[in-house]
Amino acid sequence: MLFALALAYAGFAALCLAMERHHGEVFGSRRIPPKRRLALRLIGWTLLAASFPACVASWGWVIGPAAWCGLLTAAALPLVLLLPYAPRIAAGFAPVAPILTGLAALAARI
Amino acid sequence: MKHGFRQSMAWLHTWSGLLVGWVLFAVFLTGTVSYFRPEISLWMRPELHGAAPNPRAAEVILAELQRRAPDVPSWNIQLPTAHNPVATAFWRDRTAERGFRLIQMDPRTGGELSARGTAGGDFFYAFHFQLYSMPPLWGRWIISFCAMFMLVAIVSGIVTHRRIFADFFTFRPRKGQRSWLDGHAILAVLALPYHLMITYTGLVTLMILTMPWAIMTNFDGQRQAFNAAVFGIEQPGPRSGQAAPLTPIMPLLDEASRRWQGGQVGRITVSNPGDANATILLAQRDSERLSVSRRTVIFDGTTGAFQSAREPDAPADETRGVMYGLHIGRFGDGAVRALLFLCGLMGTAMVATGTILWAVKQRQKAGALSRPGARLVEILNVGTIAGLPIAVAVFFLANRLLPVDLPQRAEWEVRCFFIAWGIAALHPLLRRHRRAWQEQLWTGAVLFLAVPLVNAATTHSHLGATLRAGNWVLAGVDLMLLVFGVLLGATARIVGRSRPAATPNRAAEGRRAMPALAE
Repeated sequence: MLFALALAYAGFAALCLAMERHHGEVFGSRRIPPKRRLALRLIGWTLLAASFPACVASWGWVIGPAAWCGLLTAAALPLVLLLPYAPRIAAGFAPVAPILTGLAALAARI
Repeated sequence: MKHGFRQSMAWLHTWSGLLVGWVLFAVFLTGTVSYFRPEISLWMRPELHGAAPNPRAAEVILAELQRRAPDVPSWNIQLPTAHNPVATAFWRDRTAERGFRLIQMDPRTGGELSARGTAGGDFFYAFHFQLYSMPPLWGRWIISFCAMFMLVAIVSGIVTHRRIFADFFTFRPRKGQRSWLDGHAILAVLALPYHLMITYTGLVTLMILTMPWAIMTNFDGQRQAFNAAVFGIEQPGPRSGQAAPLTPIMPLLDEASRRWQGGQVGRITVSNPGDANATILLAQRDSERLSVSRRTVIFDGTTGAFQSAREPDAPADETRGVMYGLHIGRFGDGAVRALLFLCGLMGTAMVATGTILWAVKQRQKAGALSRPGARLVEILNVGTIAGLPIAVAVFFLANRLLPVDLPQRAEWEVRCFFIAWGIAALHPLLRRHRRAWQEQLWTGAVLFLAVPLVNAATTHSHLGATLRAGNWVLAGVDLMLLVFGVLLGATARIVGRSRPAATPNRAAEGRRAMPALAE
């Protein structure tokens, strides 16, 4: 479940960095190279999509989809609240969180 | 009306939201709290905290009911769960005060557990859809009406907000009106699926009240026939007059569980107990299914033979069931309810920021000379948005502090809630606007932080004990109260720190920022 949350957070973060204003907040420049923008968008949507099967794996097909909707909200809120105060931390958290929670989930299974 | 589609939608959004905003805030807050209705009910009855679930609870309870109430038309039993380790039994009894008896039982011994008189979490639940102290029908009509306004406000809000995707992640703090607008939009957009779902499904739960015509036509106005067909509430068959003992219950529970692919029984209804015509109805737990449409199976009460099963398969029935189920969120584990709770809080905050935004705008337009209408909105804002949390905290405190043997104790708890809210509603009349906010928010923070302390002083199930025992149901309530206290305190600090927003500089900045939202 935490893994699904982390995936959604990372996905939102990538989509967010593909936007000029937030790219500027994190990297100091509002101009995004087109390739990087495309890559960020692809990564973002892929991660968001990936959080869906992760939800279904945690909750099953009946409750999983409903839980996914709530989970997207819960993932986006901390990102939006953190962004104006600590943009670099908000962005830096994105790649770290899925790795940590993924490892934790694996460890729990073993 | 104004010019252009988007402008007229902005007008509609403002007024549909503002006119019923305070009712919506109260409904959202108490409704959100109601996600933890069983937990709060248990917390408010410390006398029951010693109970523990028992896998053979059904057997114990039935034996006890056989002893206490052998000659009644039916027994209704709610089996204990992890959230609520107490079993509840209900049966008709003409000699009792209201024509029925409802008792709480220890699942290990079957003994009656007598708890202090309290409405518990049911108070918040009843308040959020019928305003509790009102005549229920009036309350439900008002809520239905407000919920329809809410739906209008959501849809017109989506139309008005033309930068949904461009501003998806945008929150600019410390910028006066701009920040309120950002906050309002963020809370609305990020939890939009939830807002639409909860408002729409809320209307569905009350649809039989607001749109009864189809039922009146198809069932010749006979409500009972409709209830029997849709909700599976059926009158028991006649008694035969022949005495016969009840069949053992445990094999029936196993059988039902097999039929439901491992689903657990949540409720047992025994009709004509002790008679040869007895039947036993088993219903599946709500927490395992999205839909609340009942999945039941009926056995012969004396032989244990299978009689009939009911699966909610008609599409209309199942649709209503799923919608109702989504609304009350009884499905799923703690994590799912925590997500719903978070979304509910965001909805509460969305309504709050909306009404505050209106007042801030008025202030910046008019400067210090605010019009009576704007002043009224400000007073209602403080009295509702800061006042209602105070009343909630007072309700929790009253539960612990009122004498246990006070007559009409449950009613007194509710009175304390409304007295506190009444004072909070009048208080901003006498104070300057910002001071009123600060004072009420600080009061709320202190009261919420006080609840776990008072709990520790008056009961044995305080945080020190519940955390050590790993009792997350009770510890969770205390911890949540602490979190609320800290949040209110933080808000009070922010209100105290920020400079008055009506300085000319800021007003100009606000006006420049406004066109972003279709103004």
